[in-house]
Amino acid sequence: MAIHERGLVEQERIIKKDRIVIDGVDASGDWNLIILPRVINDYDLNFAKDIINHPQGKTINQCYQCAYCTASCPVHNYWDEKYNPRHFIYLARLGMLDELQKRADVIWRCVSCHKCTHRCPKGVLVEEVLKVIVNQMSKRGLIEEYPSKKFDKFFTESVIEYGRIEDGELLFGWMEKQGYSVMKDPILKKPIPFAGGLPDWLKSLAIKPLKGMNIDFLILNAKHMLIHPRTQNWNRFKQVLERVIREEGIMTH
Amino acid sequence: MSKNVLVIGGGPAGVSAAKTLGKLGISTILVEKEQKLGGRPVLEDYHTLIPRKLKPSQVLGPVIDEVTKNPNVKVKLGTEVEACEGTPGNYKVKLSNGETVEVGAIVVATGFQHFNPRRKGELGYGLFPDVITNLELEQMFSRQGKLYRPSNGQLPKRVAFVFCVGSRDRQLGVSNVHCCRYGCALSGLQGTEIREHYPDVDVFCYYMDVRTYGTWEYPFYWAPQEKAGVRYVRGRIAEITFRPSDGRLVIKHEDTIVQRPSEVPMDLVVLVLGMEPSEGTKKVAKMLGLNQDQDSKFLIPSDNSGSNIISNKEGIFIAGACKGPIDIESSMSEGEAAAAEAIAFIGAKVSV
Repeated sequence: MAIHERGLVEQERIIKKDRIVIDGVDASGDWNLIILPRVINDYDLNFAKDIINHPQGKTINQCYQCAYCTASCPVHNYWDEKYNPRHFIYLARLGMLDELQKRADVIWRCVSCHKCTHRCPKGVLVEEVLKVIVNQMSKRGLIEEYPSKKFDKFFTESVIEYGRIEDGELLFGWMEKQGYSVMKDPILKKPIPFAGGLPDWLKSLAIKPLKGMNIDFLILNAKHMLIHPRTQNWNRFKQVLERVIREEGIMTH
Repeated sequence: MSKNVLVIGGGPAGVSAAKTLGKLGISTILVEKEQKLGGRPVLEDYHTLIPRKLKPSQVLGPVIDEVTKNPNVKVKLGTEVEACEGTPGNYKVKLSNGETVEVGAIVVATGFQHFNPRRKGELGYGLFPDVITNLELEQMFSRQGKLYRPSNGQLPKRVAFVFCVGSRDRQLGVSNVHCCRYGCALSGLQGTEIREHYPDVDVFCYYMDVRTYGTWEYPFYWAPQEKAGVRYVRGRIAEITFRPSDGRLVIKHEDTIVQRPSEVPMDLVVLVLGMEPSEGTKKVAKMLGLNQDQDSKFLIPSDNSGSNIISNKEGIFIAGACKGPIDIESSMSEGEAAAAEAIAFIGAKVSV
């Protein structure tokens, strides 16, 4: 294929192998390039059924593709046109997994503003449905661990452990997970704010709100960072949460 | 002025007109080409009628009974209208049985015919046994009482409804540009019936837009989709082929939402047929000098009246599907209205 023609075909449809034998004929060399067709050959209705049978996903059937949700969606409007709730619903309902996978890098970007759900003329619980779609994609390994999921996971772990989150710990813990080195005191192993290899932009981002903070609140936060408080009688909730996570097979979505 | 009324056509509109005329004591002649009253729904064994989901026997049965038993109505089966002379109020109509009747007013209710899907060769009707029409699906329900693939008698796993076959199509000439009005709703109903009886059968409706107008929106679009799980896929089916490897049909179209060509296997494909004016409608229009739509050849009401049943000829009233696609309950209402107008025209004394 001439180099200037490649631009006419999506990269993911071009397959090139070093050695290829078709019907016993060695087709290596210039003939080893295969372009997959654009045709949709079938629907994966099992995917659709898993969504419809999920308690949060059943309203997916109600969608009539008016795009009220997409028109209201801040992520679609201000961030990336590839993020299109209406389109995700259509693709999921027919189980067009290859199309969904093309959008795997944006599909988890919902900011949970719920405009879609509140405005949908057909009563589709759009935000819930989209979470189920991402969930089912994760289960099938169609979507990779994405950056925000790392934070979600850390957040959820903190909630499961203590029944609440602690801002300072969450912030520094997340920084650590992101690969920044955080300096810790030798006795309690708690992070020392702003020490270590934090980049300047992250420091200034954290200092800005601290400057305007009430001193009592600052002390409270520091105290909580040292001795992480726990919600009363949290253990029973914790057990329930852990069971749900076990049954769903997924912690965050 | 003659005090008789002639009703041409014994379908839903015609029998309803004759029923009202007979009830009000007017001497009525009802002429029907076929050997049976009731029109398409009865002759072709429709299963369930939209919008009330009743059987033809429930809807038309009592009306036909009333017409047959009423001594004021003379039913002439197997009879056609041959010629018409005279002036409004004194029409002399020659029938195919040799009789000539004198009538004051005429109600034309000559109806429609189903589009012949063989004209759309790319859809493979007549070539592949598993490509059927929505009329044949109705008959499958009403005559055999089960869903099956004609090719092997087995239950299909997937059924596709192909909307707008013979409707909204300039390729067939100017005659089939109109919308059939009933197709979307009937497909919703048939899809629901399939899903209710065979929950494992997947039903797909291939649409350009879904025209379940007015109060039909919920029962024939929202409910099939939400409650029965009928799937709506956007795109017009352009070609149907047969796949010998597994004996399934492959329907080709562009999914206009995904913007990709699609060749998806199906087990049974149902063509949703358009409506055309019947041969009788075209013949009667010429004979009586009634206005016809230039393109579709359906009858059109008088330019000077806002009413749908007043024709361009004095003393002649038009009711039902001879004027274009219409549902059965509206058709019957028009028959009744045309009867009342006919009585008013001949100035007959009504006995109740």
